[in-house]
Amino acid sequence: MPYLYCDAMKCTGCRICELYCAFIREHALNPKKARLRVERREPAFDKAIACRQCADPPCAKVCPTDAIVRNPKTEIVLVDEKKCIGCGACVEACPFGAIWLHPDRKKAIKCDLCKQCIPRCPTGALWVETSEGSAAKRRLRLVESWRPVMLERIQVPGK
Amino acid sequence: MFKYGGYAGQILDVDLTRGKSVAKPFDENLAREYLGGAGFCSRVLYDEIGPRTRPLGPENVLVITTGPLTGTLFPQASRHVVAAKSPLTDIWGEAHAAGHWGPELKFAGFDAIIVRGRSPKPVYIWVEDGKAELRSARHLWGKDVYETDAALREEVGDGWSAKMLYIGQAGENLVRFAAVMNDLDRASARTGMGTVMGSKRLKAVAVRGSKDIPIADEKKYVKLMDELHAKMLADPFTQGRADYGTPSLVELMNEIGRLPTRNYQTGVFEHAEAIGGKIIRQRYLVKPRADFACLQRCGRYTCVPEGPYAYIGGGPEYETLSCVGSKCSIGNIKSILYAHHLCNRYGMDTCSFGSTIAWAMECYERGILTKKDTGGLDLTWGNHEAMVELVRMIAFREGFGDLLAEGSYRAARKVGKGAEKYVMAIKKQELAGQDGRAQKSMGLGNATAARGADHLYAFPVLDEVGFEKAIKERFSARYLPEIGQKLNPKYKGLMVKECEDFAVVVESVGICKYGTMIPPTFYYRDVLRALNATTGMKLTERELRRIGERIVNLNRMFNVRHGIRRKDDTLPERLLKEPSPDGPPKGHVVELDYMLDDYYRLRGWDLKTGLPTLKKLRSLGLGFTVKHLPGRRRK
Ligand code: SF4
Ligand code: SF4
Repeated sequence: MPYLYCDAMKCTGCRICELYCAFIREHALNPKKARLRVERREPAFDKAIACRQCADPPCAKVCPTDAIVRNPKTEIVLVDEKKCIGCGACVEACPFGAIWLHPDRKKAIKCDLCKQCIPRCPTGALWVETSEGSAAKRRLRLVESWRPVMLERIQVPGK
Repeated sequence: MFKYGGYAGQILDVDLTRGKSVAKPFDENLAREYLGGAGFCSRVLYDEIGPRTRPLGPENVLVITTGPLTGTLFPQASRHVVAAKSPLTDIWGEAHAAGHWGPELKFAGFDAIIVRGRSPKPVYIWVEDGKAELRSARHLWGKDVYETDAALREEVGDGWSAKMLYIGQAGENLVRFAAVMNDLDRASARTGMGTVMGSKRLKAVAVRGSKDIPIADEKKYVKLMDELHAKMLADPFTQGRADYGTPSLVELMNEIGRLPTRNYQTGVFEHAEAIGGKIIRQRYLVKPRADFACLQRCGRYTCVPEGPYAYIGGGPEYETLSCVGSKCSIGNIKSILYAHHLCNRYGMDTCSFGSTIAWAMECYERGILTKKDTGGLDLTWGNHEAMVELVRMIAFREGFGDLLAEGSYRAARKVGKGAEKYVMAIKKQELAGQDGRAQKSMGLGNATAARGADHLYAFPVLDEVGFEKAIKERFSARYLPEIGQKLNPKYKGLMVKECEDFAVVVESVGICKYGTMIPPTFYYRDVLRALNATTGMKLTERELRRIGERIVNLNRMFNVRHGIRRKDDTLPERLLKEPSPDGPPKGHVVELDYMLDDYYRLRGWDLKTGLPTLKKLRSLGLGFTVKHLPGRRRK
């Protein structure tokens, strides 16, 4: 499942992604209308948080009007604002705190992976990640760390 | 709805004496003539206070304000301005800070807060979405900035979404150079604005908002901002700033002989590398931190993990490293980092703090101050333990700290015995980290700045490392090479005048001097495009330049009413008469009179008195100030 990932080591907490998101998607310069939220905690923690596009989304499960649906082809979870009644059940159900009500419209809004923020992050802290992808990266890192040991044992031509 | 985009359109007017606050509409004409931020302050305070105002009396007015670009997508649009009559300089007082507080004030529906009177008991202001209330701060009084921040967060709820501005104990105890702090480690440091806040018994202003900032030209906006962001990121300076922040200036300034050392006895410090940008990055940097909409991320988050100087928090700027470090001959970096952290917690300007200690250390060296005066403290150059001890002593006005809490100018007058000679201050405020002998434009800029010694009022930096392209763009090639030579006084009047005009525009729209002054990425043209797209004011470049000149002249007239004349636009004797002993500026003093003549001429001010002329004032729409010109001289 692809989702918007933020690298907390790179994120500086500038909130440019929030502002662009709100302006491009909601025509409002207002971070509270953004579909991702930059969290800052001291000491020194900054991270933009957005929807994980869960395979079995708890937000959809609790929605009484079935306004939240996962598109199996794109693997993106979408809110149908026409159906949304603004009860906030999804807001409470999301384990990541990644969905909330629009402050004026009172409809649930969340990241739908439009990717507008990604090229605009000044530190390159945002990208589309999948859990499979990140697991693969981790496996690769592990293997890399064994490399010197392996090289000691294997005859490499030209070495 | 307010006529212009970019503004919240409302001002919060708080009367602490009566415990009341009202929301008032922002005056459209004021917006057009002064924009906001520093410009807004210049006009409001000119109208409301004057020579009879006691800086620490209830009659002083404290203005905290944003600009029309604060909280928008313009690169580094993170700024707010705090202004009042200064208890340190007794004239124009103003300080600025970045962070997330200013933008949040706007999202909460206000462009500015005007604070009057004095509360009978400690209070804080809670602002949320167009509403404000005064709440008791009795339980916060006596707490440092970090503690206050944590306690306030508990109280207003919702974790970190609220933004805080506050004073520490230094402000409560009326240390004359107390800072207004925000977002933990950001400081509106200079001219004692925290002292004014303390005198009003205002501990904090907490804000939270969910309102939009309206944008006039929505269609063009994203494209324009994309373009400006790309331009900012493409500047080679940006990566350097992100990697090192301003601390790397320590090494650079040392190279050009401009790193004030031992109270300006020299501009070359033997331990510069030990307190510079490289070492901080290697050993103490946790990560670079950005303020709102900041692409440059010069903010440092730092940590000394263990030992007597252990802490974790915001790191120092170049100014702190030079004022607390080289000026006091201190090469122990951990002690400087720690003192900076303590100053932030107590809410104190590190520039005046370090400079005042440097003055005391020189007096100690010369026998003017002895252990009897200091209460046993050994003020030998480089004694970092004594320096760290003094942070607390000054903030709480304990013993010898009580004298230093008055700033070097007042302390020297009390001490007498020739101590005044070693005060490195202008108009009663201590110099920051510049030596005008090594960079003449800085010498002039410090002398003419409205808020006393101040490198930021003009922030002339284009001759510092030779920004030839920007010089051509901003002043024309015809002044090269002289204008770009830092040891040459030629054309520095022009440079300072132009830089002042532009710098007040920058501080009035709510953006950072990084990205505008240095690196010189955005000038009038780009600021104007953003300003017009945001506000819909349809200003021309000529009008924008005129606004800058208007604000500088109005600040000047505020000071003129307080008796400021050419004689006050001067530098400490040491910079005028003692030639710099080491490095590239060896043998140089500041040729101040030559540059001042040049400057006044370009300003249209009287050469002999330094008073703005009637003609100049009228041409800038400042006719209402004419009655305050002494003798109403005609020229
Ligand atoms: S734009 Fe990038 S660096 Fe800035 S807050 Fe968002 S993720 Fe973090
Ligand atoms: S909003 Fe939360 S629960 Fe719903 S799909 Fe996204 S991450 Fe999962």
